[in-house]
Amino acid sequence: MDIQAYIRSGIIESYVLGLANSEEIAEVETLRLQYPEVEDAIMEFSVLIEEQAFENAVAPPPFVKSKIMAAIHEEDRHTISPVFSLSPNEEGNSVVHITFFRKWRILAAASTILAISSTALNFYLYNKYSRKNSAYQSLLTERNTLASSNQVYQTHLREWEVASRMMADTEMAMIKMPGVPGKPQHLATVFWHSQSKDVYIMPNKLPLPAAGKQYQLWALVNGKPVDAGMLDPSCNSICKMKNVPYAQAFAITLENAGGSATPTMTQLFVMGKV
Amino acid sequence: MLKQRQESAFSYLYDHYSGSLYSVILGIIPDREIASDILQDVFIKIWRQIETYDTTKGRLFTWMLNVARNASIDALRSKNYQQGQQNRELTENVYDAAGSTQTNTDKIGLRKIVHKLKDDYRVLIELSYFEGFTQDEISKMLRIPLGTVKTRLRTALIQLKQVIKP
Repeated sequence: MDIQAYIRSGIIESYVLGLANSEEIAEVETLRLQYPEVEDAIMEFSVLIEEQAFENAVAPPPFVKSKIMAAIHEEDRHTISPVFSLSPNEEGNSVVHITFFRKWRILAAASTILAISSTALNFYLYNKYSRKNSAYQSLLTERNTLASSNQVYQTHLREWEVASRMMADTEMAMIKMPGVPGKPQHLATVFWHSQSKDVYIMPNKLPLPAAGKQYQLWALVNGKPVDAGMLDPSCNSICKMKNVPYAQAFAITLENAGGSATPTMTQLFVMGKV
Repeated sequence: MLKQRQESAFSYLYDHYSGSLYSVILGIIPDREIASDILQDVFIKIWRQIETYDTTKGRLFTWMLNVARNASIDALRSKNYQQGQQNRELTENVYDAAGSTQTNTDKIGLRKIVHKLKDDYRVLIELSYFEGFTQDEISKMLRIPLGTVKTRLRTALIQLKQVIKP
């Protein structure tokens, strides 16, 4: 007999769920004694159904338990009394006696097995819960990351909107500051409003300053450098600087954080004439 | 003394299995009040018949599950229940389902899983497992040959197992 094909036929499942007819039941019960595989398959499906029922447990109303306990207590009083009667040789009494002890043995065994299997089940459910919970946590993190990067993009977009409005403004002078000789890859742009004299900087291509260093914008007024403000290191698009009423050129140097009174000429990065 | 310990062991048994057995009953009898009554009968039956449970023939839960299922199907078939259902349908038409103690069986445990199966399979498990019809009765009801009912039901059960398996 191909026992694997037998196991896969669905007979085991019908048997466990009580859907098999008497012939089939007899067959399964003979084969389970002969083939450990059949026994294993029965156990596997029984455990599966049991776990499934446990996972879907619905708490019954509390009064049901008290009714049941009262009913069995009542029943006990009637069945047990003959065991302790003074005529133990009567046939009926010994039957009750055996029944009583058998019941006790099974219940005791059931509770022990129960304690063990419920621990195992708790452990299984707890593991399942932990897995779900950590999956949920990582989804949550992912969501937060997405939300914050979305916010970053929105900020960028707003900044670029402001920048593009400025570029389109006919009152706005745009002064390109290319890299000084030896630093051709650098570039920054100054926007200077002809009426308000407000100055904005766009750090197009400037290397990330070292720790403790910060870029400083200078306006060259009649050959003298005048401080026009520090570049905020977080400035990614366009940022407002100090108001400059009059200038012939703009330049950026790298200074100690906080800025200097006079520019360090060896650290000149970009420069552009008005 | 022994009697007391026996009762406390049984109380322990109830605490652990009542929730899962109640959900099994609700899968067949959606009315929570009737299902509670059945649960009560089931545990009293378990108490009376625990000595007929054969540890070599399967797990305790499997045995209790079958006691619960049989009791639920008996209740489902009873005249009382069927009349009650008819009355309920009438009242529900008038009062809608608001405040009803009825649970939607499609959402309970195993039945919820059975609903994921293809209709041909679902119907067979519904009729045999949840409504307790014999394969012969199903064959007549659906006008399908008995052999087909048998093989299709077995395929359905295998599919069911695949769906439950984590």
